[in-house]
Amino acid sequence: MAICRCPLSHLISLLLFLFPSETACRPSGRRPNKMQAFRIWDVNQKTFYLRNNQLVAGYLQGPNTKLEEKIDVVPVEPHTVLLGIHGGKLCLACVKAGNEIRLQLEEVNITDLSKTTEQNKRFTFIRSDSGPTTTFESAACPGWYLCTALEADQPVSLTNEPREAVRVTKFYFQQD
Amino acid sequence: MLTLYLLMMGVSAFTIQPEERTGKKGLSAGKGLSGEAVAAGSCQDRGKHFKTSLKVEGEPVVLRCPQARYWLGATASPRGTVTWRKSGSAVPAPGEDGRVWVQDGDLWILPAQRGDSGTYLCTVRNASYCDQMALDLRVLENTDASLPAVSYPQVLTVAASGSLVCPELSEFAKNKTDLKIQWYKSICLLKFRKQLLVHLTTYAQLLVKGDKVFTFYFYKSVLHYVFMLYCFANCKGIKASLAGKEVETVPVMLSPHQTISASLGSRLTVPCKVFLGGGAHSTTLLWWMANATSIDAAYQAGRVREGPRLEYSENDANYIEVPLIFDPVIREDLTTDFKCVVHNTLSFQMLHTTVKEAAATFSWGIALAPLSLVFLVLGGIWMRRRHRHRTGKAYGLTTLKTGHQDVQSYSSKIKEVK
Repeated sequence: MAICRCPLSHLISLLLFLFPSETACRPSGRRPNKMQAFRIWDVNQKTFYLRNNQLVAGYLQGPNTKLEEKIDVVPVEPHTVLLGIHGGKLCLACVKAGNEIRLQLEEVNITDLSKTTEQNKRFTFIRSDSGPTTTFESAACPGWYLCTALEADQPVSLTNEPREAVRVTKFYFQQD
Repeated sequence: MLTLYLLMMGVSAFTIQPEERTGKKGLSAGKGLSGEAVAAGSCQDRGKHFKTSLKVEGEPVVLRCPQARYWLGATASPRGTVTWRKSGSAVPAPGEDGRVWVQDGDLWILPAQRGDSGTYLCTVRNASYCDQMALDLRVLENTDASLPAVSYPQVLTVAASGSLVCPELSEFAKNKTDLKIQWYKSICLLKFRKQLLVHLTTYAQLLVKGDKVFTFYFYKSVLHYVFMLYCFANCKGIKASLAGKEVETVPVMLSPHQTISASLGSRLTVPCKVFLGGGAHSTTLLWWMANATSIDAAYQAGRVREGPRLEYSENDANYIEVPLIFDPVIREDLTTDFKCVVHNTLSFQMLHTTVKEAAATFSWGIALAPLSLVFLVLGGIWMRRRHRHRTGKAYGLTTLKTGHQDVQSYSSKIKEVK
């Protein structure tokens, strides 16, 4: 009997070895949507909202706070993200028109954007965290950062002088 | 609500038009009185401004004509005139009780009364153009119950410096040199304690140093300029942070393993598991990559995809898990570099994994296992039977022989001892 018991225990260990890889092959759910909603507000406490289809930053009081736009984020690479609003249906893009560089809202679905192609680079922002605040540099327009004006109700835009005192480039960025 | 609003607007339009025809003058600003200049019908209606102004009684109200900012701010266009009137009531005349006036195109009401609530229409016009916009004003009773409605929620993070801002001060700060702003916590004036207030700028920022956790959540700033302006900032974040303090920790990656064995053509799920300890789930991002591109971009058909993100807690420790699902595994996967990436503000880590083919040995192993078991059992039985048969014949002889030898050696041993 001793001869029989020995291969049997080997067999059990063999089966046990096979077992984890078999259990790992469990059925999966639906295709995941990696978009995550974040709250964004600048260091001067201005939140984002839409005015005439333009993204502006300012102060929202009491019942007006429902106008606040959350930012929909899809990570591309470790430090790069796609930014959108309205459930990812409007995306933030850096657009070069002649010598002018500006921030534009484009009607594309954030989850449809292919992150590797060059023409979609304008939607990509490089996220840098420093302490509790975050800055967003455009990948297509290097040196240009997402910013707000000091004054309230002014458009959210891009600046190439992030240290300038009249522009705010530091944001609080927390998952909603 | 919408129909009610439309009805109200319709009613107000009917009531206003006769007023215009009879030549009642609206509030005027700028260079001329122009209440009668352009009929309301020829003015482009820009609808209602998206923000409602909320004030408490006794406060000063300054309503800015939203479209006037662009008109008057643009240097190229000729300066227009701004007129104001309250919808659905008699035109508020400036100077009657001195409470309401127009200054630089803005409508001022001081002190505000609850009866001032309503919709105000501002009209900007020049010789060739005219447009009109409506603004809602609500003046609330001056009680603590009104605070949430007039507050500007502002969020500060615990353990970091930050500032609270008294918003919408620009109307008061115009050409002012002696603007004095004081900050209150609830009703208590904040003294300039060094650790709390570092700096107070003309933007009325209250800088809060992060070395202390504050238990209050209402700030009120008071502006001393002819009158008092109460500026409420509901510092919601501080309260929220105290209730459920979001802590960030450096995540520890528990899986995937360096190599994963799988058979070609089968489904495979590789979990990426991260231990966060007491850290919050929400601040940590977790995703998979294939050869430095995202899974979505690399496998657009979805053969390889990320499973749903699982967030769970075990023994007060938080974990996040995102599986990578192969359906099925193909030869190409064996040469692909898969990595799981975890990122939060404290750390950025990745763990590489490769898929190793174990198809042949595994399937043969599974097929051979019961067969070999049967052979072993049969072989065992056969061996045992054969063995018993042989040993049965020689049993008596061998025992006799060995028994004799044993006795002999035993007796010799005894002799030696003696």
